[in-house]
Formats: sequence, structure tokens, C-alpha cells
Amino acid sequence: MADTVLFEFLHTEMVAELWAADLHPGPGGQKTSLSVLEGIGFRVGQALGERLPRETLAFKEELDVLKFLCKDLWVAVFQKQMDGLRTNHQGTYILQDNNFPLLVPMASGLQYLEEAPKFLAFTCGLLCGTLRTLGVQSLVTASVTTLPACRFQVVILKS
Amino acid sequence: MTVHNLYLFDRNGVCLHYSEWHRKKQAGIPKEEEYKLMYGMLFSIRSFVSKMSPLDMKDGFLAFQTSRYKLHYYETPTGIKVVMNTDLGVGPIRDVLHHIYSALYVELVVKNPLCSLGQPVQSELFRSRLDSYVRSLPFFSARAG
Repeated sequence: MADTVLFEFLHTEMVAELWAADLHPGPGGQKTSLSVLEGIGFRVGQALGERLPRETLAFKEELDVLKFLCKDLWVAVFQKQMDGLRTNHQGTYILQDNNFPLLVPMASGLQYLEEAPKFLAFTCGLLCGTLRTLGVQSLVTASVTTLPACRFQVVILKS
Repeated sequence: MTVHNLYLFDRNGVCLHYSEWHRKKQAGIPKEEEYKLMYGMLFSIRSFVSKMSPLDMKDGFLAFQTSRYKLHYYETPTGIKVVMNTDLGVGPIRDVLHHIYSALYVELVVKNPLCSLGQPVQSELFRSRLDSYVRSLPFFSARAG
């Protein structure tokens, strides 16, 4: 149980550090902080993408890669599976997590709603980086309507 | 049997949280003064108890009671103090106060990146979980006993 707490505290400090460094938080400053967090997540995701998959031929199609994200990646990082995966079969996927562990201690409802996106930036980068290593270029965004549920939207970029 | 109110202090005497459920009589002084009075009293009692104890101290100050209510006290190694006033029918509730600290304060305040430590707790989640936990206790009844 101690393992999850280490990551949670580290993540909290990362967000706090990047926000504190920005004493004049205009819209430009916030974007920089968010993109730094995403960049960190991206590189972690790239490394995890190399290390995690067990069978090399498991990914026959895009959907399998997304399923890998929802099951294996989420379990490895957050000790639970993603609650829902939807797709329009045209390259857009919605990953729904009803009890996102990084948001659970914060609130159960609408308090702290404006602050929530900061805590999702790292995870967006994580998803994007893992997809990249597995050969899929994508754009990942996150949104929150009610804590602690959140959704990640993955749009596959056709190169 | 009932719970009257609950205070939560940090090691510097800042009152992090206060809730009341059944309190028929107020202290007659502003809330800030009341918190300072409570903290100062606890501080003095703790040092009194350790000095005047005729035996080696085990747990230190646990509770005091009057003819109408009982005040229960729990302190963590980090200096967080949980103080609960109940009526007289309630026995030792050290485990309840410990649960309030570990499962509520640590999980919902310490782990909440948006709650700064050393400030009164703003989290609605903490407030509502604490309220429902206290209401679910076996010695809490909705009518003041």
C-alpha cells in the first residue's frame, strides 16, 4: 500500500512545484506548466510502453492497444482498470474513469473543479507517450465534470 | 448517548476543523477565543498529567468528565489533536478518534493537493465524510440524550 502513496505525493509536489514557479500566472504561464507536466508524463509513458507489454504480437489493431492502456497500464500505475472505453471507430476513443485515484482525495462533487485539470496533465502525457512507443501517434485531452470521475479523449493522428 | 462536538487542532494550535451536533449551550465567547481556550487548556493538562503522574506514563491524558459531559482526547506523534465531547455514557473511544485521524484527516486532507496543511480545512469531502462517520457511530443518537 505504501507504493501508491509515494507516487501520489510525488505527483502532488510536481504539480505544486510547477505552479509555484509561475508567480505571474497568465494564460501563457499556465500553458507552459501544463505542457511541462505533459512532457514529463510523455517520457514516463514512452518508457512504460517499452517495459510493460508481455507479448509482442498481442497488438493486431489499434483497439488492442487501447485495451492494453485501459487494462495493463492503468493497473500498473493506478492499481485499477479503466471503467469505460468507447470509440467512434474513426480514430477517437473516450476512456472513462469513475474514480480516478489522483482525484479521489480531493472532492466528491463540484468543489475544486477548476483545479482538477492540473492533476490530469501528467496522465494525459503518460497515455500519449505509451501510445507513441507502441507506434500510435495521438492527441490526448482530459476533462472533468464531477470529481473524482474524469475522461480522457484520445484522437489518433493519421500520419 | 450522543456526540456533542469535535475539534481538530494541529501542532501549532491552529484549529483545523470544528463540527457540532448537539450543543445546547455556547461558550459565550467568540469562536476564535474558544479554540484558543481549548488548545491552551489541553496543553496545560498534558504537561500537568505527565509531571504529576505517580507512575510511569503510558498513554498520557485520555479524557476528563464532568457531571454532564465527557471530553475525549487523542494526540498523534505529529501533534495533531482530536478532541471529542460526548455525553457520559460513552466509554473509551481512542480507536474512533484514531480512525478520524487516519481514515479521514490523512486520506482526505493530507493527501489532497489543494489543502494546505496548517490552515483550517476547506474540503467539503472531509466535512461530509466526517459528519456521516460520526452519525454512524453506535453511541450517536439523533436525539440529544
